[in-house]
Amino acid sequence: MLDVRDICKNFGGLRVSRDISMHLERGERRVVLGPNGAGKTTLFNLLAGTLKPTSGEILLDGARITNLNVEQRARLGLSRSYQKNNLFEGLTVRENLALAAATGEGKTSSFFSRAHESRSVRETVEEVAEMVGLADRLDTGVAHASYGNRRQLEVGLALATKPKLLLMDEPTSGVGPGMIDAFHRLIASLPREITIVIVEHDLDLGFDVADRISVLNYGEVVFEGTPDETKGSDVVREIYLGDWQGDA
Amino acid sequence: MVADVDFWLTQFLNGLQLSMLLFLLSIGLTIIFGLMHFVNLAHGALYMVGAYAGVSAAAALGNFWAALLIAPIAVMLVGIFLYAAIIRHMRRAGPMNQVLVTFGLIFVIVDLVRIVWGDIALGMAQPAILSGPAEFLGVVYPAYRLFIIAVGLIVMAALSLVLSRTQIGAMVRAGVENDAMAACLGINVERLFFAVFCVGCALAGLAGAIAAPVFSATPSMATDILIPTLIVVVIGGLGSLRGAIAGSLIVGFIQTFGAVVMPEFASVLVYVLLAAVLIVKPAGLLPARS
Amino acid sequence: MFHQTPLKTFTVAAVIAALALYAILGGYFPREIVIEIALLAILAVSLDFVAGYGGMVSLCHGAIYGIGAYAFAGMTAIGGYDTVTATLVALAAAAAFGLFVGAVAANITGIFFIMATLAFGQMAYVVVFESRALGGDDGLSGIARYDLSAIGIDMNDSLQFALFCLAVVVIAYAAAAYVLRSTFGRTLSGIHSNEDRMRALGLTAWRHKAVAFSFSSMLAGAAGILAAQHTQFVSPELLVWTVSGEVLIVVILGGLGTLAGPIAGAALLVLLKHKIGAYTEHWHLVIGLFLVAAVMAGGRGVYGQIEYWLRQRAGRRADA
Repeated sequence: MLDVRDICKNFGGLRVSRDISMHLERGERRVVLGPNGAGKTTLFNLLAGTLKPTSGEILLDGARITNLNVEQRARLGLSRSYQKNNLFEGLTVRENLALAAATGEGKTSSFFSRAHESRSVRETVEEVAEMVGLADRLDTGVAHASYGNRRQLEVGLALATKPKLLLMDEPTSGVGPGMIDAFHRLIASLPREITIVIVEHDLDLGFDVADRISVLNYGEVVFEGTPDETKGSDVVREIYLGDWQGDA
Repeated sequence: MVADVDFWLTQFLNGLQLSMLLFLLSIGLTIIFGLMHFVNLAHGALYMVGAYAGVSAAAALGNFWAALLIAPIAVMLVGIFLYAAIIRHMRRAGPMNQVLVTFGLIFVIVDLVRIVWGDIALGMAQPAILSGPAEFLGVVYPAYRLFIIAVGLIVMAALSLVLSRTQIGAMVRAGVENDAMAACLGINVERLFFAVFCVGCALAGLAGAIAAPVFSATPSMATDILIPTLIVVVIGGLGSLRGAIAGSLIVGFIQTFGAVVMPEFASVLVYVLLAAVLIVKPAGLLPARS
Repeated sequence: MFHQTPLKTFTVAAVIAALALYAILGGYFPREIVIEIALLAILAVSLDFVAGYGGMVSLCHGAIYGIGAYAFAGMTAIGGYDTVTATLVALAAAAAFGLFVGAVAANITGIFFIMATLAFGQMAYVVVFESRALGGDDGLSGIARYDLSAIGIDMNDSLQFALFCLAVVVIAYAAAAYVLRSTFGRTLSGIHSNEDRMRALGLTAWRHKAVAFSFSSMLAGAAGILAAQHTQFVSPELLVWTVSGEVLIVVILGGLGTLAGPIAGAALLVLLKHKIGAYTEHWHLVIGLFLVAAVMAGGRGVYGQIEYWLRQRAGRRADA
């Protein structure tokens, strides 16, 4: 489904991503872990299209998307959420989701229709709101919504385009400890047909939702395996030393 | 052939003189812009006030040099008043509101000047010592215009020295680079901005006063000079001394030589250049921040 | 996001009705004022469409207005074409120029966008000013007005011409409001709110902005067509950037991003200009102070401020 082949990214002389390869099956949930400065954000941007790799290829369903920009990739079914909430301020939750749903349907340019109030968009909005737990918050103004709700909407916007592949950048960033489990459950309950890549530094998220985990360090993939294999890995233990010894 | 060389050398000096006036205006604008992201469209109006202040001071005192000293101080006082009354409150209001407020100020200042000095162009006598022609590299050229070039070059050199060698200069550069960081380093950014603002106003006043004997003082100079100055700032790159120098020279020479070579489209050339820079290098040719 | 609220409907209806009444009851001079207001109002609606709902603050709407006027003038006075063809060509010319400026400047933001539009507007001004075919700085005269005698309207009658201009204001407002509520307009508000996110959702934002700018330019071109017919004379002065500046002032005084406010703003500015102008030639001073005060008071504009108060009161009532 997603094929990343030997991608490298250099900033000047600095090699931030080195020969990263990964292969995802349809419906797979992959969590990319790594300590701060491991090159997670760079990898995320390379996948999303905000950065172009210095070398290497990215294929989505066999098609090269390496040189496509953000919007072109989005139209091929690659959607992303942001580490920092990136919402349509000043609008309601419903209006936010409607914008995403209509754009996802490619309905943006007609002067004579009202796609945002069409049945298909309304259905998508309600469906997505249900998925991310905002069904009873649809008419709340985004500016007045709680941080947790805003975080849920952040994921909702990415889902409302009905993506094949969802990229999530630290989805639980800033979510308080009381909400973390609910958030993990939310992600785990997303429809199985969506392939998901999550870039995250919190190991627990990986163990809760991942099918497979990739671990980055110094811009390289140093480990890949199932959550159980990850727990048993010496390489990973060394990188994250002390981080989850207590839990494991 | 000799006449040809003379002609082009004269044009070169014309271009240089225009560039220096543009520099005196744009340097204040660009540093204020770069340091505090403040867009002051009324800068051209301050230039006009400088010209009128110079004319009045010269007439009252009968001394050109005294006028050259008084005009910048007078404009600085006007600037301080504007700062206290308006600009200080608009610091965090966003560029759009700043553009609009200072746009409104242009109307106010221009009309106040028309009320005080009237609508006619007011001339100002050149000092006797500079009133005749002078010879420069074999070309006969008005001494006063050479004086304008000299003033521009002196200010340019002085600012370069201050910015690169003194502590104040280092603080300004740090503020342009990253004002939050500068504030963390214990620089009083607010006071620094005020000081820079005053210097910028004084330089605009100086430019107005030295321009008055050549172009006369008129109410239209406020808006006439504004657009070229803004173009200099945008082409050169916000907040950058080198950018202001390069931008002034480019705009000054394009306007001067354009008028000679292709008079019909001289004025469009500058706009073509501006559009090209904005499209290719939106941050300007020599931006202060990399 | 745009909603055609009752307050908007009321404001537009009230301003237009008052102006119509002023034109009907007044003589020649009030009618000239009404026409001036109408032209400025159309321009203000067109600018608010891109600035208030698309975040693109333009300083070339004056130039686009001039392009519409010149295209109409050139087609009728030089080309000898009928007014319908001339209208279509003028609208197309304005829209094409807008599409070009919008496409080229779409990725430029903030003050730099303003500078870019200024540059393109001034280029158009210089080209017209230097063009001998278009009369250079002497301008063009001998421009035809619409012949609407078939439906009983005499466009050479100052009252009927003034009322016709007011009708075009309503049409321009309705067109802008209709588009803002359409799929296109909703998407434009999305770009205004968060362009980055719209791109991440799959929108080619620059193309959308260019089309929006083009539509707005077409409305500005319509104002130009009326301006050319009004004085039956066009000069390069129509295209100067200060015209754009005046339109921007109108939008700000009325209320940026309210669509109805700018129509009230146009009436306010022109009436202030003439009322103050009757006492002193320094009406710019008053307008300038007004602008400074309006922006320092929060920048919502007259209409925007009223809307804000009403919404706050409604909010308090909902809380209580």
